[in-house]
Amino acid sequence: MNSLNHTILVTGATGFIGGRVCERLVQEGAKEVRALVHTFRHAPRIARLPICLCKGDLLDSDTLRKALGDARVVIHCGLGDAAGIVRGTRNLLEVAAAAGVERFVHMSTAAVYGYRPSPGCESEDAPLRRTGDPYCDNKARAEHVVSRFARRGLPTVILRPAIVYGPYSFWSTRLLNALQEGQAVLIDGGKGACNTTYVDNLVDAVFLAVRDDRAVGECFFVTDGERITWGDFVRAHMAMLDPEPIVPVVTGDEILAHYRAQPGSWTRSFREVRQLLFGVEFRKMLLQIPVCERLLTAAWARLQAMDPEKKDRLKARLRGGSVAAAPAQPNYRERHIPDLTTWLSETHSVFFRIDKARRLLGYSPRIPFAQGIKRVEQWLRFANYL
Amino acid sequence: MLVDASVKRARLLRESAGLSCEVGQRSSDVFGKVDAVINALPNYLHASATLEALDAGLHVLCEKPLALTASDARACCEAAEVKGLVLVVGMNRRFDDSQAILRMMLEDGTLGPLVDYDWEYGSPWEWETVSGFYLSRVQAGGGVLMDFGVHLLDSLLDWFGPVTDQSCQHDDWGSGIEANAALQLSHSGPFGPVMGRVKLSRTYSLKNRLRVRGVLACAELPVADRSVVIVHGTLARQAVSMTVRLADAGGHDSFSRQIDDFVESIRHRRQPKVDGRHAARVIELVERCYAHAGRLPEPWTEWQTVLPEAGV
Repeated sequence: MNSLNHTILVTGATGFIGGRVCERLVQEGAKEVRALVHTFRHAPRIARLPICLCKGDLLDSDTLRKALGDARVVIHCGLGDAAGIVRGTRNLLEVAAAAGVERFVHMSTAAVYGYRPSPGCESEDAPLRRTGDPYCDNKARAEHVVSRFARRGLPTVILRPAIVYGPYSFWSTRLLNALQEGQAVLIDGGKGACNTTYVDNLVDAVFLAVRDDRAVGECFFVTDGERITWGDFVRAHMAMLDPEPIVPVVTGDEILAHYRAQPGSWTRSFREVRQLLFGVEFRKMLLQIPVCERLLTAAWARLQAMDPEKKDRLKARLRGGSVAAAPAQPNYRERHIPDLTTWLSETHSVFFRIDKARRLLGYSPRIPFAQGIKRVEQWLRFANYL
Repeated sequence: MLVDASVKRARLLRESAGLSCEVGQRSSDVFGKVDAVINALPNYLHASATLEALDAGLHVLCEKPLALTASDARACCEAAEVKGLVLVVGMNRRFDDSQAILRMMLEDGTLGPLVDYDWEYGSPWEWETVSGFYLSRVQAGGGVLMDFGVHLLDSLLDWFGPVTDQSCQHDDWGSGIEANAALQLSHSGPFGPVMGRVKLSRTYSLKNRLRVRGVLACAELPVADRSVVIVHGTLARQAVSMTVRLADAGGHDSFSRQIDDFVESIRHRRQPKVDGRHAARVIELVERCYAHAGRLPEPWTEWQTVLPEAGV
């Protein structure tokens, strides 16, 4: 099928990937592009395009039906919250199947294997297992739902990109902010597999998935096909800055030691509750209840009448601290300790293989990493990040 | 009185604002009961609703832009003038203290002969609308230039006089709702010829400040604090910066000040600070910019072909 001769619905159109899909469809002269827009306030980027903005919600099938219109192709980049990933995908599949859609491209993710895929997950036939992470597990469940509809005859294609970067990507803006604020680190020297996917390479794969009938019912990893490490990715962004920042190295052991030293969840929960109870907002709420208002006013009056030293001791005890002055802040800059998800994502050694996409789709990554990064830099300069 | 197509929403607004007024669904419901109208409808309804109110003999404060075309804006002005009614347009930034201070500096010659100006205004858009009219060429009349841009151009025309030459680039791909725009403007006004650059964005955080450079000093108006002007200059050959604020600055925001000005203009039959004619000249300039606009380069998009120029 030729995608350009059909009306195409793009979900997640206000996002990074969906936005670029819309732009490329316009560039390629698509007949009609319909973009599902959950909230207009995120839509200025795609409002520049001669496409139809359709207000809708993946959790509301009526709006999906209206948004679909006479579209024969659906490119599903929409996400929603954790629960919405599965329910929203199911709703869209039901509407698409009922309308006789001729191609449904589902934007999944390599994270269906978790943030730290095990060796053996390099090719698409590795079985999916629960990872315990809501995003990863819901994306995996969404794939199962897509496969179910495929078995019923809906022509679906699942794409699994990994670290999708490019203009508008938060991978670059977040990393650049971290570099500028001295918060970036190289975990274990940055030797973990990054599996970059330049956004235009991914969109090429989307178009191939729409056009090529051999793609139907299949699932494909989509990356740049280069063995790019996190060190390569971080250093490429460091080189954009003048002066080039020095990025410290943190070992996985140091990260784990840091989190092992953190208080347990009970202790943290107790602290949070205590903070909430002594917070201004909670006090304001209590003051609206007449009995509480009288009790609190009386307690406040007693506190005011108290000996200052005794008062300080009581306040400190209630807040969970001590009366002694807080120790002075260290005068050295501490290394930033990344969160555990970042540690998991940046320290595995699995490079996803794109042999299947090459073989069945004719996919060949057009934009190598070096060129992709140059385009990102052009955009970052335009967008005032540099 | 509050009028809205949805009476339910009008009632909700009345309650949340603590008002005790009537609500209505159509403008004709209230025309016999009020002296003036604040027109806060979507852009494409500004001119028609303003004309309707003026025809009914009511003074109007219309949200900016007054109209989607300069000819419609002029028609509103003529209707107000014929009827002797006050027509004010919500380009309220002119009521900011910082803008008043800059005008004083220009008139006083604090900056010396003017060299140029540079105004950047933009951040990722967060304005929610139920209908999304702001993102429709037909309903909004344009993108960021017709939106924030109207405020900026109004102030620039007020300070530096008419634009004698302009160039405009924007990133519209064919819908007319650009998210970014860059202008180069040349003025001829009371402070001599001045050239300047304006950059607007709905997708990126810009520097968000106006800088007016003179031979003696540079005035900076930060968007984050619209009550001050920061003057960069030299003192005893040392580079210095000083923050200037009005000693008797009122506490009201610019919206309240403009409403006060509207009411006073009606009461005392005087010219308001920002009237329909000011709004019409801004829309004329926006039209000129759109008519001669080029594409902002976006080399990362692989876009080599030339798109048809956008018009409004």
